[in-house]
Amino acid sequence: MAVVLCLWLAGPLGAQQPPVHYWHHGSMPPGAIGSVQLQRGGPLPGFFQPLQIKAPPGVAISPAEEGGFRELHAAPVTLGLLIGQVYRVRVMNIPMNPGLEVFPTIEVIDRLYAPPGREQQFPIVVQLTMEDLRFALDGKFVTRVIYLEDPQQAVPFQDDPYRQGWFEVGPGKDPLAVADHLGRPVAILRMGARLPKNGAAPDMDFLFGCPPLVKYVPSEQAPQTPAQDETPQPPAPQKAPADAVRQALYRPWR
Amino acid sequence: MKPGHATGATYPPWPRWWRMVLIALCTLILCSCQAARQNVPTSSSAVPPPALPQQAFTGAPQGYPGVFVDPMTGAAGPTPAPGVAADGMTAAPLPASPVGPWAPPGLRRDPWPQDEYLSDGGDAVPHASVGQEWEINGLNVEDTVAHFDTVDGRRIVTPSNRLCIYSPRFRSVRQVVGLRQNEQRDPWAGVHQPLKLVRHEDVTIAATSKQQVQLEAEIGRDLPGMYRSKQGDGAMSTVNGPVAFQDRLLPFEAPLAIGQGVVQESEMAWLTHGTTAAIAWSGAQPVQVFIDRTRAAAEVGDRRLDVVYTIKERKASPKLRVIKLASTQFAAPGETIDFTLRFDNVGDEVIGNVTVVDNLTTRLEYVPQSAQCSVPAQFSTEPNEADSLALRWEIADSLPAGQGGIIRFRCRVR
Repeated sequence: MAVVLCLWLAGPLGAQQPPVHYWHHGSMPPGAIGSVQLQRGGPLPGFFQPLQIKAPPGVAISPAEEGGFRELHAAPVTLGLLIGQVYRVRVMNIPMNPGLEVFPTIEVIDRLYAPPGREQQFPIVVQLTMEDLRFALDGKFVTRVIYLEDPQQAVPFQDDPYRQGWFEVGPGKDPLAVADHLGRPVAILRMGARLPKNGAAPDMDFLFGCPPLVKYVPSEQAPQTPAQDETPQPPAPQKAPADAVRQALYRPWR
Repeated sequence: MKPGHATGATYPPWPRWWRMVLIALCTLILCSCQAARQNVPTSSSAVPPPALPQQAFTGAPQGYPGVFVDPMTGAAGPTPAPGVAADGMTAAPLPASPVGPWAPPGLRRDPWPQDEYLSDGGDAVPHASVGQEWEINGLNVEDTVAHFDTVDGRRIVTPSNRLCIYSPRFRSVRQVVGLRQNEQRDPWAGVHQPLKLVRHEDVTIAATSKQQVQLEAEIGRDLPGMYRSKQGDGAMSTVNGPVAFQDRLLPFEAPLAIGQGVVQESEMAWLTHGTTAAIAWSGAQPVQVFIDRTRAAAEVGDRRLDVVYTIKERKASPKLRVIKLASTQFAAPGETIDFTLRFDNVGDEVIGNVTVVDNLTTRLEYVPQSAQCSVPAQFSTEPNEADSLALRWEIADSLPAGQGGIIRFRCRVR
């Protein structure tokens, strides 16, 4: 009877939880937060949330699909990603780092409710800065929680259109909790610490199962200008990427 | 051993009905639990990629425009219908109003997320008021109000309508740690979160929505009782009857209701038909009634047979209408939006000291030298608590009834 009474009383208490992620930590494994978000209900399953990946000029990006990294495309790229799934992305042609590449993961944990027909015009923006790429190449692990800013608590400054503003939290802090206080977290970028096995076939464990995605054809790409604190970098040397890969660069989306 | 039991078996400590109730409760609890759906990718390399869900949609452009309903006035554009993508799958419907009662199916957020919209206009709580020195109290960020003075010394504040512009802005929180600390976070422990009861609660709340349709008010017929009370004695009924008419009763007149003033159920259909015909009168067709050379207004209801003629004395009613419009409903950071304020004296007397104030929200930055006004006005700005500006137009001349003006300015989305 005590168990029955506790379960009966715990039901309403659980329904009163706020729509925040205080029970989770930003450093949880990829996919954990998104899967719990799906269990909360709502129109999340099956929705391909448009997400735009921005990167410094010259950087090439390839999302994992069909068991591997098929095509490289110049940033920015816009993808439609399922909520709760983890997508592995290959980032190549990093300026001043020829031959090196990083494999960040992107996890969409919430969606936008853009008016119909405007979904691609207002995607979630995930920005790979040159500093983040350097950290990842140096062996650091970079976590970025992208959140939708609350207009009532918005920072009263004009953002640089080529550089997304961010707050820094130190080790031991929870970036997800900080993002929850500032707005509504919508995506998590994790970069560094993982590389595929040398010479092996595409590992589905490493690629998180290659969940389905949608590629959007860019109508008009924004002009690429460097951020104020970043020096324009020359293109990568001839040896990287390889000729076959370089020929695939700058191909439009299918 | 209890009397009545012939065997030597021990008697159970609990009665039989109590055990049955306990088993039923345990069964109910076990059946109400459901396994958590694990969408976390597994570590097995043999797991095939998840297939495209049946209800998946790609967010492709839909075939209807997104038009919002003004929460203040209720004016609406085309009704947003459920979108159908090019592949024939259903897309997410557009919220008719970002703060309205509509919410995406299954969305359990309270309130409905408004963080993707910039709001401007209206008068939020606490409402704005104007002091003796024309200082405005209670002017919130995003408010747009106008105040004026009336002939009899009153000072009235009028809000504009509220605009909602879709303009999400993203920022991020970054954390850079060493590899060793990250590896400590890798185990799967702690992934399980006891949130399954939330889904269980979602199923049990639909009962309240069945109370919305109540036809009892249309079924009740209270009026006939009142008409029955008109039955006086025989003499009065004879006097009030149409004895002096040439044709005692016309074909469309109910014998009891018109002839004797008694309304009965048997004549309700007859009376309803005639009443409907009377309601359809318009213009010069109805009976014209004048009281003291003043035309009276007729109050005709669809649930009563009589007509009440009244004359309402005209009172001064100063009113100022403020309409706010935006050049776009969607704007990305860095884009500009043109705002138009139309104010009109829709009252019946002149008003003075007309002042229009727009307190811009944080993410709207006024573009200098972009303010215009169609009537002579003094324009000024002052910083507000949202690190933006409060725009103020003081109309120089008084505003006669039926007159108005237009204000335009431009803002950049931060």
